Amino acid sequence: MNQSRAQRWVLGFFVLLALVMLSAPTVVVMGASVSAGRMIAFPPEGFSLQWYGKILAASDLRQAFGRTLVVALICTAVALPVGTLAGIALAKFRLRFAGAVQVYLLLPFTVPLIGSGIGMMLAFGKMGILGQLWPVGIACAVINLPFMIWAVTASAAALDPDLELAAANCGAGRVQTFLSVTLPAVTPGIITGSLLMFILAMNEFLVSLLLVDARIVTLPVQIYNSIRSIITPDLAAISVVFIVMAALAIALLDWLVGLDIFLKSK
Amino acid sequence: MRPSRAEYPYRWRLMDRLEAAADRLFPRRWSRWTGWLMLAPALLLVAVLLIGLVQIADASLHTLDRKTFRTSAAYSLDNYRAALDQGVYLAVLWRSVLGAAIVTLLTLLLAFPYGYVMVRTRSSNLRKLLLIALFLPFFIGQVVRAYGWLIILGNGGLVNDLLGLVGVPPQRLLFNYPAVLFGLVQYMLPFAVLMLAPALTAIPEETEAAAGSLGANWLRTLWHVVLPMARPGLVGAGLVVVSLTLTDFAMPAILGGGGQDFIANAIYDQFFRTSDQGLGAALTLLLVGIGSLVVGAVFTAFGAGTLAMGRART
Repeated sequence: MNQSRAQRWVLGFFVLLALVMLSAPTVVVMGASVSAGRMIAFPPEGFSLQWYGKILAASDLRQAFGRTLVVALICTAVALPVGTLAGIALAKFRLRFAGAVQVYLLLPFTVPLIGSGIGMMLAFGKMGILGQLWPVGIACAVINLPFMIWAVTASAAALDPDLELAAANCGAGRVQTFLSVTLPAVTPGIITGSLLMFILAMNEFLVSLLLVDARIVTLPVQIYNSIRSIITPDLAAISVVFIVMAALAIALLDWLVGLDIFLKSK
Repeated sequence: MRPSRAEYPYRWRLMDRLEAAADRLFPRRWSRWTGWLMLAPALLLVAVLLIGLVQIADASLHTLDRKTFRTSAAYSLDNYRAALDQGVYLAVLWRSVLGAAIVTLLTLLLAFPYGYVMVRTRSSNLRKLLLIALFLPFFIGQVVRAYGWLIILGNGGLVNDLLGLVGVPPQRLLFNYPAVLFGLVQYMLPFAVLMLAPALTAIPEETEAAAGSLGANWLRTLWHVVLPMARPGLVGAGLVVVSLTLTDFAMPAILGGGGQDFIANAIYDQFFRTSDQGLGAALTLLLVGIGSLVVGAVFTAFGAGTLAMGRART
């Protein structure tokens, strides 16, 4: 790429600005979490792991973390098969009303989160299942389903339909064709989608806030409630838990499918 | 001439069983419905959302009796009248719409160069760095990020410390409109870049080189070649950013400190502070309506851009 000097400078400036903006909160939270002082501060006053010891001892935080994991697992377990099948169907079949189906399946994205959240709060309330954890997981699966479908369709679109015909021609039945040709081809999409679903459900805040009560708060809601009262460094230590999970997810994604998958043109 | 059992592996037998079961459960002559069968679970799951919307619509038609704190049995449109009459909601609506517009512009301005460099760079290390820097905040969630900004922008925070070094008295950087917009731009940046990147990848580098060899400088190439060709990505990114910003809750709540409410915060307050479910539901439905109108208008004008799923993309 032959870039003029001016172009380099302009691009470099914007990219640097974006990099600083993107990374600043993460860096600061990590720094503040190892502060030896009693107040939240960055740069930290000395180094200590006292706040990590504190959050390990706090059973309410541990329970909130456990509940968040359960929600994320339920969300992934529901969205994975549902989104995979829908994604393959959308990419492979020429369906009648495909446009309408698409608009309908994009609803979780176009309906504002506050709307979906309050709607499900009212609906779950009527069904009498509010105050349990699994409806929160279902709700997360509903609102994030488009991500799963996108991930799968992106892979499925790259699958040559002739391969499936060839498999059938060699005597494979429908189940076998699906299991040994179609499914492996979309596996990168399934992995990407599932990781996204898991992480997004871990972090889901507004819908959780609407659907949980004081007995079953999830970790993001717990952090939000604490921020509103008083900001102490132990919050930074809990936040680092999220940062570590995010880093793990990225490493896993890069290892299994490569981060470059997001740069592919559809 | 059926092979003997020993030659016929277990796996094959299992597969035969599965095929037979599939043939019985879903005969081949139904195969034109296979696509719909595969779609059915997703359609059902999203139906939960529709049920919710119906519930909201129902709730919005019952007014709250302020004396008894019971909702009326009769249906009326009073809540909508109340929502549209009160100037306070129009102010909140204006703040959200203006905020969404500013945030979208700023986000696209930052996201475009970022995505461009990420896609075009020859250095795979730089690409990886940019991708990781993008995904880390994306995977961390709004609350934690807002918490980071609280530490950075607070009265005794990093920025004020730095300002103090050059002799500037502490500034109030938090709990105002710019702080909320700033937090939102940072929140939206990964979404925007991820929607833009596929469209940028699809632009052949040769086209840019051709424009250059015909005498266009990089600004003209950008304006006449890259930007028009990146339109699906810009549409997708813009849509996502507008709709998520317009309806955001966490950033105005945390970085706005209660004085910078967006529509979602006003709705939340109706449900949980004032306990006026009807009015809250009416506001929610109005928001859903506005959002759908915006998205629908963009879809009709520009197509679904990079938002499209599968074959039906335009």
